[in-house]
Amino acid sequence: MEIPKILSGEMMDKILAKKDFPEWLKKLEAYRVYAPRKQDDVWNYEPVSGPGNVQLADVMTAVPAKKIVFPQREYFFEFRETDDNGTKLTELLPEDNPVVVFGVRPCEGKAVTLTDKVFSGEFEDPYYWKRRNATTLVGLACGTPPSPNCFCTSVNGSPHSKEGLDLLLTDLGETFYAEALTKKGEKLILEGQKLFKDPKPEDKKKAEKIQVEAEKKIRRKLNRIENVPLKLKGMFDSPFWDDESMSCIRCGICTYLCPTCHCFDMNDEVETTTPLQGKRVRTWDTCQFPDFTMHSSGHNPRPEKSSRLRQRINHKFQYFVEIWQNYQCTGCGRCISLCPVGIDIIKVVEKVRDYGS
Amino acid sequence: MVNIEDLKSEARRVLKGGKVKYIIGYERASETWKANPVFLKNPEDADKLVWDPTCFHNLVRFVVDEKRRKAKEKQPDTRPVGIVAKGCDSRAIIVLLQEKFIERMDVYIIGVSCESTGVIDERKLAKKTAGKTVQKVEFGEKQNYIVTTEDGTMDIPAAEIMADRCLECIANIPVVSDHLLGDKTKRAVARPFQSVEKLESLSQEDKWKFWTDQMKKCIRCYACRSACPMCYCDECVVDTINFAVTADTTAEEKAQRIKWLEKSPIDSENIFYHLVRAIHLAGRCIDCGECERACPVNIPLRMLNKKMEKEAKELFGYDVGFDADQPALISCFRDGDPEDFIR
Repeated sequence: MEIPKILSGEMMDKILAKKDFPEWLKKLEAYRVYAPRKQDDVWNYEPVSGPGNVQLADVMTAVPAKKIVFPQREYFFEFRETDDNGTKLTELLPEDNPVVVFGVRPCEGKAVTLTDKVFSGEFEDPYYWKRRNATTLVGLACGTPPSPNCFCTSVNGSPHSKEGLDLLLTDLGETFYAEALTKKGEKLILEGQKLFKDPKPEDKKKAEKIQVEAEKKIRRKLNRIENVPLKLKGMFDSPFWDDESMSCIRCGICTYLCPTCHCFDMNDEVETTTPLQGKRVRTWDTCQFPDFTMHSSGHNPRPEKSSRLRQRINHKFQYFVEIWQNYQCTGCGRCISLCPVGIDIIKVVEKVRDYGS
Repeated sequence: MVNIEDLKSEARRVLKGGKVKYIIGYERASETWKANPVFLKNPEDADKLVWDPTCFHNLVRFVVDEKRRKAKEKQPDTRPVGIVAKGCDSRAIIVLLQEKFIERMDVYIIGVSCESTGVIDERKLAKKTAGKTVQKVEFGEKQNYIVTTEDGTMDIPAAEIMADRCLECIANIPVVSDHLLGDKTKRAVARPFQSVEKLESLSQEDKWKFWTDQMKKCIRCYACRSACPMCYCDECVVDTINFAVTADTTAEEKAQRIKWLEKSPIDSENIFYHLVRAIHLAGRCIDCGECERACPVNIPLRMLNKKMEKEAKELFGYDVGFDADQPALISCFRDGDPEDFIR
């Protein structure tokens, strides 16, 4: 993944005192600012109500940052029956007001690079890109793993990965070590230019040390998975999926809360029938629901929960690898931590790896 | 206290005798301190069974799956499935029996008494352990839990981290079972609707604000429905899967199929979904609290169902899930019922 060049043509590394952080936020008036906020014991990215209300910490939100570039619900167009029996369509592109998201986990930044691929390629999705281009992702390097089920280092990631991020902050205690990674990231620093100092060589060393230490703190590993894509190809009809899915209850948690899952549905939401008027709406969809890929004939190629679990694993560890040469999993561990019945993607993939050998 | 060896040996015995098709119980997989559902087919697997304060799940959910599976088999194995059931779970079995969804002979129930405690609330525990990694949670001897973390053990009074549903539980020992383990002393609960009373005391405006704020959080993952043993409709209002399409079905008919609610997670649709579920569970919910535990955004869903349970109790003197021979609340009318429009 090539990281886009920054304005000045050289890496912009700066130091920001934590006490100046609210001042920096005040300078970002032009942006809609999001950061993790705790409500009812659950963290989520929410719009920031005031510059003093952001505490960046090693937390894992329930819903990933993908919801900002790929919201659970968005409009495509409006339709309206006209007097001459025609239909008027009006495209409803999202507004491109700038957005900045603080506290993004490096695994989520990497995940956005994967959804970027899906929404580009043969068809460029204007709705996705309008939001994506307007969004600046400010990552926070993980000092300690935000989840006991973190395993980013097993799927080509790291707790200080820069992929997909515009700016990476590393918590040095009293200060943040700030690395601008793109033009958007640099612009954000320039907004609060006076607050940022040039780092001393020992600051960089300290940041690097914290980053190296963080990798060692990751408890969970998914090793030797190079052959898993090929293995999965041969296991499509295996009874393995029946056994593994016995305890699955078919909810949408693992996929809706996955930073890389991007399946969607489209529906016409009718507001009035005379004249016929409404909106075409895109919402998240998930392979775990019974009407996913339901054909209009009534046939469903994935009728059982076993075929739905298989779809989730195959998409992440076979199909995506075949198409985009990347695992479609960045190791955030949400699907493990939040599964009501403890289905563990690491265990499932390990079992695939060891199946029949 | 339930002796785990007794649980294992009973499971081993029934599996060995071929008395059951398989047993649905709890195991603890490596890398987690929480119990997970497990399906045991062989007697030697019985050693996997655990019984601890993390056995949250209402395994009756999987009895519903089994019925569906059996219906699709050409030559179904008609033996019962074994199930490890807590008090609340056993009440779910009673409701399924009342509604004739299953027959008594479909299940072999190994009942486990929760005695004087119940299962824990993970979020309450997380506050106590303050970031320390939990390794194990066990029942203590005197209404307490022994929590093992990376830093040693903590002795926590049960009331401090017990799930709310267990604090208000009216069936600490299974109501129905084929083999019952653990102490059989019934525990009295002074205020079984305490949590609802708090909400009831709010003004109508505050209640509306409370619930609309909560419903805004919903991402419609349907974990609440999926975890519920009572949500067994062939076709749930939220997903249209049984619309009969033939070669003659016109595009217009397809387009005009009944769509009860939109997929959009917006206030109107979220509230509609949750109210439909609450109404469908009135007089049926046995307060296992799985909807609330499964919810990834922590909506207090149990309160909706608990309120319905309270209505059933106060209006009709109906206790859910205690008597399989009693007609289900919503399918019967008695002379003493308060509404007389039906006469």
